[in-house]
Amino acid sequence: MEKEEIVNRLTPVFRKVFSDNSLVITDELSALDVENWDSLSHMLLISEVENEFSIKFKLKDLNKMANVGDMVAIISSKF
Amino acid sequence: MLIASYYFYINIKPVYALLLAGVTITTYLFTNLIAKATSDRGKRLLLIAAIVLILLPLFFFKYFNFVNEGIFGLLNYAGLHLSLPHISLLLPVGISFYTFMALGYIIDVYNEEIEAEKNFGIVALFLSFFPVVMSGPIERASNMFHQFKGKLRFSYEMVVSGLQLMLWGYFMKLALADRISIYIDAVFKNTDQHVGSSLLLATLMQPIRVYGDLGGYSLIAIGCAKVMGVNVIPNFNRPFFATTMSEFWRRWHISLIKWLTDYVYTPLSFGFRKYGVWGIVIALNLTFIISGAWHGAALNFLVWGGIQGVALSFEMLTRKRKDAFEDRFRLKKRWWYIMLGCVFTYLLFAFSLSFGGDAATVAEVLQIFKRIVTDSFHLPYKDGDTMLYGFIAFSILFIKDFMEEYYPGRILLFNHKNNTVRWLAYYCVIFLIFYLGVFSGEQFVYFQF
Repeated sequence: MEKEEIVNRLTPVFRKVFSDNSLVITDELSALDVENWDSLSHMLLISEVENEFSIKFKLKDLNKMANVGDMVAIISSKF
Repeated sequence: MLIASYYFYINIKPVYALLLAGVTITTYLFTNLIAKATSDRGKRLLLIAAIVLILLPLFFFKYFNFVNEGIFGLLNYAGLHLSLPHISLLLPVGISFYTFMALGYIIDVYNEEIEAEKNFGIVALFLSFFPVVMSGPIERASNMFHQFKGKLRFSYEMVVSGLQLMLWGYFMKLALADRISIYIDAVFKNTDQHVGSSLLLATLMQPIRVYGDLGGYSLIAIGCAKVMGVNVIPNFNRPFFATTMSEFWRRWHISLIKWLTDYVYTPLSFGFRKYGVWGIVIALNLTFIISGAWHGAALNFLVWGGIQGVALSFEMLTRKRKDAFEDRFRLKKRWWYIMLGCVFTYLLFAFSLSFGGDAATVAEVLQIFKRIVTDSFHLPYKDGDTMLYGFIAFSILFIKDFMEEYYPGRILLFNHKNNTVRWLAYYCVIFLIFYLGVFSGEQFVYFQF
């Protein structure tokens, strides 16, 4: 799957989980940049992303996600 | 350093050094086997085998008598007469701490976050490093290996800063924790003889005692490692200025909480993620119940863990609403609102800590709470010297933490550019330790873990 398509599908998921309709997704975006991004919303995000792309992450994947760029790369590797 | 560490450990109890060596060999073998395994299934099986093997001694020493007396007692009640001999076991010093460090390292290797170390000496030093082996901080391989591999150079700044930390650590332990322990023990060992107000005072002093004890020990350990040129992770960060329980647990026993977060909470919440918010609430509560069970094999420790879990879940579920409320009335920077948060958090922790001790069962703690509320008012039991010395020591620590929290860099005593001020501050603290301190050979609370 193309990176652009992944980002396009991720955007509404992020906006819904963090309740922010103007959130713009970049590779560098991480928990430090988003106010509501705590351990609770992180796990909800993971679950929503899995549903959106019909994939399953491994715990190992989770530890490697330092920012959105990492997440996109991991999603891409699942296809 | 490895020889020094083992020498130190053998001096405490030689036989238990064999156990430490056994855990080290198991860790070394299994991390290298996991790294070499080619299939996911093989890696997973090795991981499970390693976790079971590493946990066995801890379970044996910590829960043997509990299982023996508790479970077999129940079976006996049900008409099944089974029993194993009661074994009088002294928990090997530091077993929890090196077990946790070994497990963390093995899981990190499995998750490919760190490479399996080929040099056995580095792994052995990591698990036996004498400043931290007895009571933490619970270190990570990723922070220690590269320091042990590099050349340790003498650094004047690190020696000075290490000694300063040790000095504060001794102050917190000898002048504060051991001093107020006299009062707390006098009250809690004879609750029948004391009035409600004494029980309340002793309950409120408990968090200060543990902060002085484990916080002091941690500073001594961190300082001692620093003198040798090794940086160890911090364990406390001015916990009494936390305004919520979630913030409190980011400031209290940090190395344990980070360990639990990475190796218990995260896998659990990941496993329960399909249940949404409730999956995370379950994971949070289970994590603290496990933490409670580690602190002691008794119902009161589970209650302690349960209270933390429920409080944190409540804060997590109401956070958005609370944030909106605080923004609406611009409360976040109001000093009285911050103070209210600190006091409430402190009280909640202090009362929950009553369940976190060896001395009292759940029923006894509830009885103490009842008496705090229902006893007619009398002035608390007075132990003049203890209270005065304890109060002076606490005030000094409180002012230091307060300044560092809200006015960092404003008052520098240990780091003042003037030599005389620095030395005067050192002598002052040394004098206070001797003047206020207790030197009757009190143990550190967490040595029994």
